Amino acid sequence: MSWISASSRTSHAFGTPELSLAAKVWQISRVFVVLVLALGAVGVLGQYSAANGHMEPWAGRHALRFGVLFVGMIGIALIDIRFLARMAYPIYFANLLLLAGVEAYGKIGGLGAQRWINLGFVQLQPSELMKIALILGLARWFHDATLEDVRRPTYLLAPLAMVLVPVGLVLAQPNLGTGLMLLMMGGAIFFLVGVRLWKFGLLIACGVGAVPLVWRFMKDYQKRRVTTFLDPSTDPLGAGYHITQSKIALGSGGLWGKGFLLGSQSHLNFLPEKQTDFIFTLLCEEWGFWGGVSLLTLFAMVVAYGIFVGLRSRNQFGRILALGLSINLFLYVFINTAMVMGLIPVVGVPLPLISFGGTSMMAVMIGFGLILSVLVHRDSRMRNGEI
Amino acid sequence: MDSAPKTPRPDDAFRARAQVLNLEGGARQVLDQARTRLVVVGAVFALSLTAVAVRLGDLAFLTQPEPRAAIAAVQPFKAERADITDRNGMLLATSLATASLFADPAKVLDAKETAKRLAQALPEVSYGDILQKLEGGGRFVWLRRNLTPRQQAAVHNLGLPGLDFRREERRIYPAGAVTSHVVGFTDVDNHGLAGIEQSFDKMLGKGEPVRLSIDLRLQHMLRREIQQQIAEFSALGGGGMIMDVRTGELLALVSLPDFDPQSPGTGDAVNRFNRMTLGVYEMGSTFKVFNTALALESGRVRMDDWVDATKPIQVGRFTIDDFRTERLRRWMSVPEVFTFSSNIGSVREVQQVGPVAQQRFLTSLGLTEKPSLEIPEVGRPHVPNPWREINMMTIAFGHGLSSTAVNNVTAFAAIVNNGILRPATLIARPDDYETSGVRVVSQTTSENVRRLLRLNAIVGSGKNGNVPGYLVGGKTGTAEKAGGGKGYSKTANLSSFVAAFPMNDPRYVVFVLIDEPHGNKKSYGFSTGAWVSAPAVGRVIAQMGPLYGVPPVDENEPSVQRAMYVNATAPGRRLGTETFVDATLKQPIDPKKAKPPAKLVSAPASNSSTLLQKVKETR
Repeated sequence: MSWISASSRTSHAFGTPELSLAAKVWQISRVFVVLVLALGAVGVLGQYSAANGHMEPWAGRHALRFGVLFVGMIGIALIDIRFLARMAYPIYFANLLLLAGVEAYGKIGGLGAQRWINLGFVQLQPSELMKIALILGLARWFHDATLEDVRRPTYLLAPLAMVLVPVGLVLAQPNLGTGLMLLMMGGAIFFLVGVRLWKFGLLIACGVGAVPLVWRFMKDYQKRRVTTFLDPSTDPLGAGYHITQSKIALGSGGLWGKGFLLGSQSHLNFLPEKQTDFIFTLLCEEWGFWGGVSLLTLFAMVVAYGIFVGLRSRNQFGRILALGLSINLFLYVFINTAMVMGLIPVVGVPLPLISFGGTSMMAVMIGFGLILSVLVHRDSRMRNGEI
Repeated sequence: MDSAPKTPRPDDAFRARAQVLNLEGGARQVLDQARTRLVVVGAVFALSLTAVAVRLGDLAFLTQPEPRAAIAAVQPFKAERADITDRNGMLLATSLATASLFADPAKVLDAKETAKRLAQALPEVSYGDILQKLEGGGRFVWLRRNLTPRQQAAVHNLGLPGLDFRREERRIYPAGAVTSHVVGFTDVDNHGLAGIEQSFDKMLGKGEPVRLSIDLRLQHMLRREIQQQIAEFSALGGGGMIMDVRTGELLALVSLPDFDPQSPGTGDAVNRFNRMTLGVYEMGSTFKVFNTALALESGRVRMDDWVDATKPIQVGRFTIDDFRTERLRRWMSVPEVFTFSSNIGSVREVQQVGPVAQQRFLTSLGLTEKPSLEIPEVGRPHVPNPWREINMMTIAFGHGLSSTAVNNVTAFAAIVNNGILRPATLIARPDDYETSGVRVVSQTTSENVRRLLRLNAIVGSGKNGNVPGYLVGGKTGTAEKAGGGKGYSKTANLSSFVAAFPMNDPRYVVFVLIDEPHGNKKSYGFSTGAWVSAPAVGRVIAQMGPLYGVPPVDENEPSVQRAMYVNATAPGRRLGTETFVDATLKQPIDPKKAKPPAKLVSAPASNSSTLLQKVKETR
């Protein structure tokens, strides 16, 4: 029987190894740490260039945040994964409350667009952290699942709600980018745990079917926002302008770029949001095609490493957690880079660790910490009731 | 990797074994399927990132940035007066239908009631005024002209008898002040009073639109940069132009201050003065470009010749000296005369050529004639008459001959454009437009002057206008303004910079002039062209290059180095200090009788720069 051969290979088949703190630190992957540090360094250089070669106003704070969060990442890596699994639902619900609370506060308080909480060194957007909380929640749910469970439609109702409730809250903000990311991430995890394909088909059909109904209840300005989203050329001075400028800047970089601090499109007034969503354009203008491809490769290596960690994990919770976080990182990178090149419509998604912005960096670094925790505790065994 | 301490917990073993049987078995199946699905997800990731990389390559190598789709105005009615657009179809002037309200007092039933309700509907009119008009008798009285559609609807809905609307047309300038000096403006009856509106009045009136050579994006860019310099150096005003040397098209023409063409009468009259086309100025050192071209073209001066600049030149009561003399006062090579902008050296060069050839040459460059621009605001150059030796000497460094900025930019474009002159125009040329142009200097002379211009942007006064990758070359000019007939002012300057890029194959000329700038801390107190105008030109080029898809040039590439090579210290002939006098010249020339020759003497200037040696500054 397969379980016998599988477990006889390891000496701790029926238990969970307890690691000392030093042993845990030793288990942290140096390759991964180097990759993360490299991304952080590129980010600081990019922010330095975005401010025309000054540490102020972005590069210094970017570096400081990265330093603080790097320590946080190592700290999270040392947290026992069983504890994380126990805390998964509380974290999920706390985040959901926060999200709903901020949304309600934004409405009641009449502050309109304020959807963050000020923590001093970062302004926390619950919608960004929701991505991590959702992965934790789904990983916890599917940890116990057998294949029979997954095939039972009623078993999937709860995780479906776990995805759709925050998606609804985020879309209502309205934050299309984050909402779609949550949706895609949930879908990918459902796919990975083995949900039958026809169920996806059914859900998508329902979604498409609901569109005319929703459309009828939407206000005119909401409809306009959607049409602009679908076809930015109807708004040539808004989103369309950004993309046109971004494409010009990307094209002007050529093969090897114009050199550090010499990207004229970015440094003059053409490129909007150069320190946040369009930082990839700035980097490509200055470092050229090869610089852009190198950065993409760096990200691909981190994503691949996350998947590798997922495969090494001996518990389903860790496996789903690491895979989900890798998907999350991939979505960030893909959506951002594809957006600045005009492959997909403009949505506000930052480039992890490169774009200026505290919450997204925090979310990404927490995610990296969790991946490392999965790696460190990969041999932990968790069974139903043991969490 | 399995170096972690392992502590099996046998006490759990039994319970665990029972569960593992089920759960691990189930989980294993899940895992098997998950592996397959993971491969699918991984493949999607890889494909997506590859797509991004391919797209990046596509943008970096293959596609030129697509020009913005022309935003064509959908005309809901047939306008009487046609549109003026920029080269990309952006509206610069258009006509809107408006309704004007009038009354037939004889048909108004209750004047007081009508006046009261109108005053409520139209906040800009007063009860008293309307009542007065309605009770004034007659059968026709204007109550309010050019109502907005909303106002018209409001009045219409009042349903008052005796009121009616007449359709009128109003000229609208979407770009506002940005293109005011080019487009001009009209009076209330839509007759052109200035700019293109005036010179194309008939054509526009007949409904034929005019497409200008101006690119609104560049216009805005250039204006913004000049505005910044004016503010920074507390200047009186300024102006600038961008020209496509291959067609003579002006892609931008800015004169500041400017005005709101919607209400041209409201501002200061000075604001309507076009410094680029109507103002005639002594351009100062930028004239040394023409002087050098003349000297080289004549064949009497070569790139490796040396001239005597050891002492000031005395001519009658005039003394010709150099700016910041302490570092000069020596023999100088031709490239040094150019980059040090030496007045003495420039005179020495022109002495080899003489006044007759100088006059013919400047005439052939169009510098003595009113430029043939399509707007009425064009100034006529002030040309010395008679053209004596002393005139020749001062003109060598840009004094004693005043011309418009358009004259100068056109001539400069000809010198850098392989010697082919094309007149400046404000009207868009068709894409396949080809003009033969007039040859004013040889290819070799053009190449040599371009070398000097490039050198000047590396080691000379044009440093602040240089933009890495775009191979900028240019010449500064700081002319002292002539003050009320009492000689030149030492403090009031006209600071200019004229540049072209890329210098190995020039395509665009960018010119900026700042009127009476005041030096500040940032410029170390200088108010010269190098500090005031060159930075603005540099910023314009840095923005324009990528927008126009000009590929960056690697300055260290051997072919570029060769094309831009100058040896400023090559040993050569030492030229004399006698003025060459044309044998046919008995008396000073009357410019009215001098005719521009199709082509000047074309003894090819020496081009023996075989000794490739890196540019050295000799100080």
